[in-house]
Amino acid sequence: MKARLIVAGVLASMLFAAGPGLAQQPVAVNEWQVPFLNCLTGPIASIGAYLQWGAERAAADINQAGGIAGKPVKVTGIDTANDPQKGTVEMARIVKDGLVALGPVPEPVIMAAMPIAVENEMVSMTATTSYEYANKFFPWTVSWFPPISKRLPPVVEAWAKQFSDMKQVVQFIEPYGAWPGMAEAHVPGLKAAGVKVLSPIEVPSDAVTFGPLVVKALDQKPDGIIFACNAEKIAKIVKELKGRGWQKMNHLLVFNSGDDAALYTIGGEDINGVQVYNFINPGLDTPRWNAFKNAYMKDHNGMVPPSLSTHYYDALFMIKEAIEKTGVTGDPKKLKEERKKIADYCANVKDFQGLMFKWDMKDGVPTNKPLYIFEIESGKKKFVREVRPQ
Amino acid sequence: MPLPLYYFLTITAVNLLMSWALYLPYRMGHLHFIVVANMAISGYTAAFMVLSLQLPFWLALLAGFLLGALVGYIVALFIGDAPTFAVVIVGFTFIYITRTVIENTSAVGGTMGLFGLPNVGGSPAAHRWTILAILYGLVFLVGFLIHRFDRSQLGRAASAVFIDKDLTASLGIDIKKMGILLQTFSCTLAGGCGVLYGFIYKSFHLDYFTFHVIGILMTVIFVGGYTTLWGTVLAAPVLYGVPLLFPPEIASWRIVIYGALLILVLVLKPEGFITTRFVHTIGSYWSRKRRQPTLPNRRKENL
Repeated sequence: MKARLIVAGVLASMLFAAGPGLAQQPVAVNEWQVPFLNCLTGPIASIGAYLQWGAERAAADINQAGGIAGKPVKVTGIDTANDPQKGTVEMARIVKDGLVALGPVPEPVIMAAMPIAVENEMVSMTATTSYEYANKFFPWTVSWFPPISKRLPPVVEAWAKQFSDMKQVVQFIEPYGAWPGMAEAHVPGLKAAGVKVLSPIEVPSDAVTFGPLVVKALDQKPDGIIFACNAEKIAKIVKELKGRGWQKMNHLLVFNSGDDAALYTIGGEDINGVQVYNFINPGLDTPRWNAFKNAYMKDHNGMVPPSLSTHYYDALFMIKEAIEKTGVTGDPKKLKEERKKIADYCANVKDFQGLMFKWDMKDGVPTNKPLYIFEIESGKKKFVREVRPQ
Repeated sequence: MPLPLYYFLTITAVNLLMSWALYLPYRMGHLHFIVVANMAISGYTAAFMVLSLQLPFWLALLAGFLLGALVGYIVALFIGDAPTFAVVIVGFTFIYITRTVIENTSAVGGTMGLFGLPNVGGSPAAHRWTILAILYGLVFLVGFLIHRFDRSQLGRAASAVFIDKDLTASLGIDIKKMGILLQTFSCTLAGGCGVLYGFIYKSFHLDYFTFHVIGILMTVIFVGGYTTLWGTVLAAPVLYGVPLLFPPEIASWRIVIYGALLILVLVLKPEGFITTRFVHTIGSYWSRKRRQPTLPNRRKENL
């Protein structure tokens, strides 16, 4: 009797130890399909291309390590060509039986297509847009950034405090999407650093010459300049500034959306010394990041990964974690319930190991992502400092 | 109804109506691009009425039509008989002005846009059926009106203006009045379409109303055929729908395919696929077929 009890106890404890494994339902798919509503053609195709690269790289890494819950994952790029008309139809197709999706990209397509994902209760990771857009579609997406009013003032304050001669600053602002709001969020940071904010210079979206805008800015005798416009325009304005005698290059600050390939290719040597703030630190030295960086450089003629290139890499890993940790099976009969599981998990994931750093989510918003300030030197970013918003 | 089909049908209807809004003034040689600005003006105004003033959708839709008419009429008073080039310039300028005003108006979301337009009719399904019914009601109504116009004295006068403005004026036709009529009608239609366009997406963003829209409409009109309304009826669904069926490998070449198609049509068939003559041929064929007596009747006639 005693021996029987011991055997039963051992069996029970073995069963208990193996509990999570046994509780895990068998996966119902042979391959996890993750559609990515991306801009592969059209005006921002170059950005779409490296977002796609990041997502596909994640799929390759995941598959190499055994897939998601033992099954391989495939990311399929669906081109919306920056066209809301196409984006809506494609999203309508995906929500029919898709478990989860990546994208859409960028804001006009997000605004047109995300209501469809929300109505059908499917998570679609809008990992490149700001919180101000993403939060309209919670809980069926997560924000990759905290609200601009919280994250931007500290980094701008840190930039301004580097220079004792920084007394007044002017901003170049392009009226596009969240950019004017971001420029507005720079102001409290400047004020906290005791800097006077001069009248902003509006950069029209269709501007081709920048001389008059630069003259208007210089006329106010600024000590520093912040750019909240697109990368190509920033590079051209910096060239124009240099041509007109601007010398204090580190007194120029580029916002994160301007830290794109066009800034470096058009700016060339003229942007040496310019400072940039961003969410990724390409100088990081970890095996995972180095592998990603080297693979990217190999596929892109030695170019360093741009700032957004990691977002969909991390997004796919977050989906993997959500599927594995919540026991999602991919069974079409459980679609509604499993979509909800993924949404709930991603909205409040803790200690998520991203490509560059760990972070937590609270109700769909990252709580502790750092920001970095860099100085550009011969097309490369030299680390200046890290800023963690409180 | 499957969701993709709903979006295909509604967006095709908007493209069709907007192509007609561009087609009508072009009957007398005016490329009236202001219609794109009208979409934005009326759309944003309607969204503001619904979201901020809590007014019902139907009132906002009506206001959209009326605002389109008002803007169209005021502008037409100045360019009703202007040369094509001047009308094009005014259209482009208006698009720029409208964008700038909206960008700087925080009440309508500024550069961020407007989110969260409510379902018309309460539920998502009711919303879809309502929008679909309104759009296709409009397609039939406007199609009928344009069909009648094309066959009327006014339509023939517009064709004459297209060929030779001075000669037409010498025949006693008031070109300016005709210009005002056509431009105002097209702007009214565009205003309503702008409201419905936003309610399909349940949001408004300035990038919904860019020169890209003009590109789509121009392709629809010139590939389909600019001499009859039937050209747009064929081209709007085909040009929008067929690329959606492309496999992903070819889909990236969509713009190239569009461009090549447009060049081919302009070179090989400058009037577009569907011409007035083609419509007449089809029309006569059907009338002959209808008039042709059936065999038993013919026998009776012989007896």
